[in-house]
Amino acid sequence: MTTARDGWDMPISEDQLARLTRDMETAHRDTLPAMRAGAVDLAADIRDTRGGPQGAPRDPGRRRFLTGTGGLAAAMALAACSSSDKQGSGSPSKGAGAAPSPSGSAKSRYTGDLKVVALAVALENQAVGAYQAALAAAKAGKLGTVPPAVATFVTTAMAQHSDHAKAWNSVLTGAGVPAIHDVPLSNQPATLAALGKATTVTDVAKLALQLEDQAAQTYLFATYNVSAAAGVATAASIAPVEAMHAAILHFVLGQYPVPDDFLPVDKAADPALLTV
Amino acid sequence: MAGEHIDTRLLEELTEQSQDLNSDAVRITQDALDDFTEATGPQPRRWWQRGSTVAGAAGAAALLASVRAAATTSSDDIMALQTAASIENLAISVYRAAAGLPFIKDGNKTIAAFIAKTTTQHQAHAQAFNAAVTQAGGTAQNAPDPKYAAVVRKTLPTIKTSADVVKLAITLEDVAAQTYTKNVSQVSSAQLRKLFASVAPVEAQHRATLLAVQALLAGNLDDLIAIPTDVAKLPAAAGSVGIPNAFYPTVNASPISEGAVK
Repeated sequence: MTTARDGWDMPISEDQLARLTRDMETAHRDTLPAMRAGAVDLAADIRDTRGGPQGAPRDPGRRRFLTGTGGLAAAMALAACSSSDKQGSGSPSKGAGAAPSPSGSAKSRYTGDLKVVALAVALENQAVGAYQAALAAAKAGKLGTVPPAVATFVTTAMAQHSDHAKAWNSVLTGAGVPAIHDVPLSNQPATLAALGKATTVTDVAKLALQLEDQAAQTYLFATYNVSAAAGVATAASIAPVEAMHAAILHFVLGQYPVPDDFLPVDKAADPALLTV
Repeated sequence: MAGEHIDTRLLEELTEQSQDLNSDAVRITQDALDDFTEATGPQPRRWWQRGSTVAGAAGAAALLASVRAAATTSSDDIMALQTAASIENLAISVYRAAAGLPFIKDGNKTIAAFIAKTTTQHQAHAQAFNAAVTQAGGTAQNAPDPKYAAVVRKTLPTIKTSADVVKLAITLEDVAAQTYTKNVSQVSSAQLRKLFASVAPVEAQHRATLLAVQALLAGNLDDLIAIPTDVAKLPAAAGSVGIPNAFYPTVNASPISEGAVK
């Protein structure tokens, strides 16, 4: 049975679609309470360690965060990606090497574990913004005909990134520092420029894949560089979701959906991208 | 359903590209395992071990203790690794059995290719987990997870179609992904967190792919299970059914003792 919707003949029944959507929503909602509890634990852990909302001096050995040799390796990998990227400004990594970052400033409120949390929020906001821009461009007819599956993917992935951002922001506010609602990343101008140049669904999917890979790999990196247990658990629970987004995008782009035996970290975001 | 319109040559090229990318990832993971080995294995003799000054020995002892503390592999770590290996062993055996079924072998070429590739990826995971076990002084786990082996034994006789295979595979991939996601928070060293955290997303990707395939099979859209596919013809649900959770759950994670060597 097929159903006509907006002139498109859906080769799946409304009942099947409704059931699949209902199952998906249920599964999605089931994970949220545990996630919120984890965020509360992480905020409490960070707050306790900081000794107060404004943050007392902390043990730098315990509060290390993507700033060790692994962070340096990731930064070098990003720099290498930038130099070899034929897409120029379209690459998020390009921005990483192109703009100086004030994140090393001693005045930053986001230090230690909070720096990675802030990076996570920024990456999630960047993804939400990119998908929003893609939807706007599609609505304006700038991307040609948008396949229904791509539209559904974009709205679903965007909602999940929004949930991730909320979870991480609750950690920031719980630790007494401001939530982040914009994209304080030095590669954001390059990302916006790439989005502006997109004229096809494929262009958008390629950019989205870069962002999803970056997010998944950053969370992988965080799992073995974050100190707080709840932070480790949160990063571990989001990395697979970003990787699943990437798998669907690979499929949409005509690529094998599971390209790696082990998730690498060569595309992980450098914390130096943070501009707050 | 209509015949497959898979471009075999393109698939081979994509597989080759994938393997190039994959070899980098394997190298990274091997590096992690090497780090793990170095941290847990016999410590090389240092200057303080050759009877230097008392002060130097005291400082070095503190350093050595901190290094060992950071890389200590507990019995729980070993059990978690063995259970992970047991889940991988079961997945390998299920995928191998599936590959021999006539409706897989002579069916959709992309499903068959996915099963072949996924088998090799699970083999790589099993090797990595067992390498970490033996490097930590434990016994490699070469048997399947007992709990899910029973489920598989019960399910196998009922498998009649590709959709049945996909359904069983989804269960196993989800258990693997949930277990490793939880293990990340249970193991005691950064090296092991990295290992589990680098495998969980791959199992999640297997599940995402299988969920999409399942939806297409349910909609009698076998011809769209292809690489590349005709994206314009994919049903809307195909874009969301593969990504059902905002946060990967762990409620069905296997306990670390489930597949441990007795």
